[in-house]
Amino acid sequence: MKILTDALAWFTDAAHWQGSDGIPTRLSEHLQLSAESVVIGALIALPLGVALGHYGRFGNLAINISNVGRAIPSFGILVIAFQVFGLGNLPIILALTALAVPPMVTNSYVALREVDPDIRDAARGMGYRELAQLVQVELPLAVPLIMAGIRTSAVQVVATATLAALIAGGGFGRYIVDGFAQQDYPKTFAGAVLVGLLALATELSLSGVERALVPRGIRMLRATAPWQSATFKTA
Amino acid sequence: MNRRPGSAWLLAAVASVVVMVAAACGGTASPNAPASKGTITVAGFNFPESSILAELYGQALEHGGYTINYKLLLGTREVIAPAIQSGQIDLYPGYAATDLEFYNKGAGEATGDVTATAAKLNSHLSSIGLVALNPSAAVDQNAFAVTKATQAKYNLTTLSDLAPIGNQLVLGAGPECPTRPFCQPGLQNTYGIHFKDFKPLDTDGPLTRAAFKNGTIQVGLVFSSDADLTQLGLVVLQDDKHLENADNVIPILRQKVATDDVKTILNNVDAKLTTTDLVTMNAQVELLHQDADAVAKAYLQQHNYFA
Repeated sequence: MKILTDALAWFTDAAHWQGSDGIPTRLSEHLQLSAESVVIGALIALPLGVALGHYGRFGNLAINISNVGRAIPSFGILVIAFQVFGLGNLPIILALTALAVPPMVTNSYVALREVDPDIRDAARGMGYRELAQLVQVELPLAVPLIMAGIRTSAVQVVATATLAALIAGGGFGRYIVDGFAQQDYPKTFAGAVLVGLLALATELSLSGVERALVPRGIRMLRATAPWQSATFKTA
Repeated sequence: MNRRPGSAWLLAAVASVVVMVAAACGGTASPNAPASKGTITVAGFNFPESSILAELYGQALEHGGYTINYKLLLGTREVIAPAIQSGQIDLYPGYAATDLEFYNKGAGEATGDVTATAAKLNSHLSSIGLVALNPSAAVDQNAFAVTKATQAKYNLTTLSDLAPIGNQLVLGAGPECPTRPFCQPGLQNTYGIHFKDFKPLDTDGPLTRAAFKNGTIQVGLVFSSDADLTQLGLVVLQDDKHLENADNVIPILRQKVATDDVKTILNNVDAKLTTTDLVTMNAQVELLHQDADAVAKAYLQQHNYFA
C-alpha cells in the first residue's frame, strides 16, 4: 500500500503541477494527440460507414477490412511510422488514427443498417429525397450507435496515446516511461492513474454529447423500453 | 582468413601439443620467423569492437612470433572471466572501469582517473593470476556529443565549454538521465551546466539520432566509440573533468603468458591507439561490413607495426 501513499504524495507535490513536465502540460499534450487522432479517424470512418450502411453494399467487406486493421498492433505502426517520418507527433497520430477508425466504421455501418425498413419506406413515401432521408430520418435514429463507436474509439485512443512516450512524444505516457526508467514507481503509478481518469472523463463527456444529440422521441423510447435500443457494443 | 568457431574449439582441445605444429597453423606469421614462441588464445566479447581489438592484439603478437588462437565473439564478461581464470583463454581486450567493477563485484571503486582505475584493477587481478597492462588512450564510455554545427557556433571542445551556454541548449538522453550521477546531475554538479531543457529519448539509440537530426536536441548522450559518429556529423566533447568512469581499452591476460616480450608488444599497440582510431575501425566493420581481421591488419600496417 506504500505505493498508494507515495503516489498521493506525488500528486500533492507542487513541482509536478508546473513546467514542461507538469501535469497541465502533459494533459494538454495527451488531449491534443488523442483529439487530433479521433477527429481525423472520424473524418475517414464516419462518411465511409454511414454511406455503406445507407446503401447496404460492400458492408461486410468494409467491416472485415477494418477488423483486420484492429489486429495490427499500434506499437508496430508507431515504430514503422517513426522510421518513415522521424521524430514528432505525426507517427503517433498515424498509429492512433489507425486504432480509431475500425470501431467507428463498424458501428456507423451497423447503425444505418439497423434503421427500421418500414421507417425508410415511410420517409420515401412521404416524398423525402435521398439526402434528406439520410440526414433527417436515418441519421437521428442512428446517433446512439454511431456515438457508441466514437466513444469506444476515443477511450481506446486516450488509453493508447501513452505509447507516444516510447518514441519521445509527450502526454501522460511520459510519466509511465520515465518513472520506470528512473525507478520512480510512484511516478509510473501516478501516470497510469492519470490515463485511467482521462479515459473515464472521455467516456463520460462523450455520453453527455450523445445525450444532447439523440432526438427527444428516441430518448423517450429508450426511457420506457431501454432494451429496444440498448447500446450495441460491437467493439 | 576465415576463422570458424569449430576449428577454434578443435585447436583448443589439442592446445597442449599445438606448440609443435604451431608453425603450420600460424599461416600469417612472418615468413622468416624460425619457430613459434608459444601459443596464445585471444578472446573477444560478443560485439564487433571487441573483435577488432582482439585482432589488433592477436596480429601484433603473431607478428612477434607467437601462434594465436582466436575465440572471437565468445560472450559477455560472465563467460570470458571464468574462461581466462581457468586458462581456456589467455588474453582479452578489457575496459578498465567496467572490468574493475566486475572483478570487485560492483564496489564502486572505478573513477574517471584511468591510472588509478587501472591500478585498482590490477590489485584485484593479481590474486586470481591475471594482469592488466597499460591502458590505451582509446575509450568506449558514456560521452556527450554535439553536432558539428553546434560545435562551430559556440567553439566547443570540452564539456567545460558548455557551462556558460548550456542554458541555450537542450540535452537528450535516456529517460533515466535526470537521476543518474553520470548524466544530468553530474553535468550540473561537476561542470556547472544547466540546460534549457531535457528531452527524454533513449540511450544512444535511434531516438537520439533522430533528435539530433531534426534539431530537437543540441547535446546528446552517446558512446565515445560509436561507429556512426563521424557519419552523423557528431563530435564528442572531451570529458575534461573526468565525470565518466575511465573505460579505457586495456589488455587483460594470464600472468603465465605475460612475459616481458608479450607485454612490450601489447603496450606498443596500446601506446598509439586512440578513440578516433576505434571509431574509424568500428565504422569499417559495422557500417561498411568489412572483416575485423582485415580492418585490424590494415590499421597495424598503417601504423608500421609490421615494419
